[in-house]
Amino acid sequence: MVLEAYYPVAIFVLIAISFPFMTYLATRLLREDNPTPLKQTTYECGEVPEGEANVQFNFQYYLFAIMFIVFDVAAIFIILFALIYRDFLALDSLAMTMMAFFILIMTAATLYSLKKEEVYTV
Amino acid sequence: MSGHLVDLFGGSNAIAVFLITIINFILRGIGSLPLFGFLNPLADWLGTEPVVTSIAWLIAITIMITWAAALHLLTFIWLERKLVARLQDRRGPMITLRKDRYIGGTGYLQQIADALKLIQKENITPKAADPWMFHIAPAFLISTTIVVLVALPFSEGFVVANVPAGLLFILAAFSLAPLAILLAGWAQNNKYAMIGGMRAAAMMMSYEIPMILAVIAVVVLAGSLNPIEIVNQQSQLSILAPLAAIGIANWYIIPQFLGFFIFLLAMLAEQERIPFDFPEAEEEVVHGWLVEYGGMRFGMVYGFKWLRTFVAAALVALLFLGGWHGPVLPQEIWFILKIYFVFFIFIWISWSVPRIRIDQILNIGWRKLIPLGLFNIFLAVLVVHANAQGWI
Repeated sequence: MVLEAYYPVAIFVLIAISFPFMTYLATRLLREDNPTPLKQTTYECGEVPEGEANVQFNFQYYLFAIMFIVFDVAAIFIILFALIYRDFLALDSLAMTMMAFFILIMTAATLYSLKKEEVYTV
Repeated sequence: MSGHLVDLFGGSNAIAVFLITIINFILRGIGSLPLFGFLNPLADWLGTEPVVTSIAWLIAITIMITWAAALHLLTFIWLERKLVARLQDRRGPMITLRKDRYIGGTGYLQQIADALKLIQKENITPKAADPWMFHIAPAFLISTTIVVLVALPFSEGFVVANVPAGLLFILAAFSLAPLAILLAGWAQNNKYAMIGGMRAAAMMMSYEIPMILAVIAVVVLAGSLNPIEIVNQQSQLSILAPLAAIGIANWYIIPQFLGFFIFLLAMLAEQERIPFDFPEAEEEVVHGWLVEYGGMRFGMVYGFKWLRTFVAAALVALLFLGGWHGPVLPQEIWFILKIYFVFFIFIWISWSVPRIRIDQILNIGWRKLIPLGLFNIFLAVLVVHANAQGWI
């Protein structure tokens, strides 16, 4: 069965998750613990910290984030296509043409949106 | 082609059987006494097949973590410190155990001294921070880095789990780090950390796609997502037959030089090495998303950067440099040699060039590397077609 190959992966994931927490436990036994208000202030290069950092701010790479999601989903399709690409060689080329068309459209769309996003070109 | 030295699961199974035989011998010895008869069913249960297999897996996992996350991690940190020192005309760490020889030591114990120091340091949680997220983010980063080792093969036998979609698993686990960094940056409620986390996210958006495109080109050539299969393909695909005849075989760096270049850059960015280290740039944002961490939390995150370097070097060797293929020497030794060679390239690049700006990596990633990556896929397709037609 296919799933049996993933049985050690499950054990490994459990061990990997427990590893940092075991280290936390080990340091808890070894370190001293003496918090003072001055230690617990936010670090701002020695100045008295001003204001909150968790504020709404202008995320200037927003368009890139949207394009990234599109590409990331498309990458999964292309990986699956690439995996069986050699099997397509024996068949007719309809699937290949369609994938080439798809990549072409994606490239054109990317180039177009990059052309529109001229905010911080150097 | 030379064989492999280590059969990880077979060896672990033998160790497990040996241990259980000893334990069962003791248990049955005690069980033969009148009051301790209840130990006999326990001994029977220990001898059953699922228990032996589970213990064998545990031993295999322990060996793998010790091998990669202890031995090579420490060696990588040491090697980086020494090589950087040499590149900057210094000597680097030289600590020794012998008090009378401060000068001339190798300095290998420096990492252990650092770890021993950091493990005793106080753990400071800032008042303003979100404590849960603050402590979980490093654990998340470290767990996802260790998980990669489960599917990473060091030879045909030296692998914990030979899963069909191993490469996909490695890349998926490996690229979860920016999420942890963003989490850490937000949780600290510190302006520097916040900017660092956001920079990590923006950088991830620019190098992740070229990396995937370079991997896709390799998958087109290999026709498989199993790392072992990909490496074996690199000795079989009949391109460039003259090179195959002299034993260098058909490493994918030859038809895929562009992909190798893209993947190397993406891996440099993945590790936050110096040309791309702006999430933790000291001169700009103090230490970026690591500002508020102290003690062993800092130590673990900082040290495990080299485990990520190790995995990145292993991936480059696996996908483009023919993995463990090479003449005469055993497979494991060839693979380790290639990993250290790639690591050497990483160090040399990252300590020779200045840091680039955040808008520059977005431009490099989106305007240069993605078109190159798409072109590279077409090159791979051409090679496969030419191979099928018998032109090469």
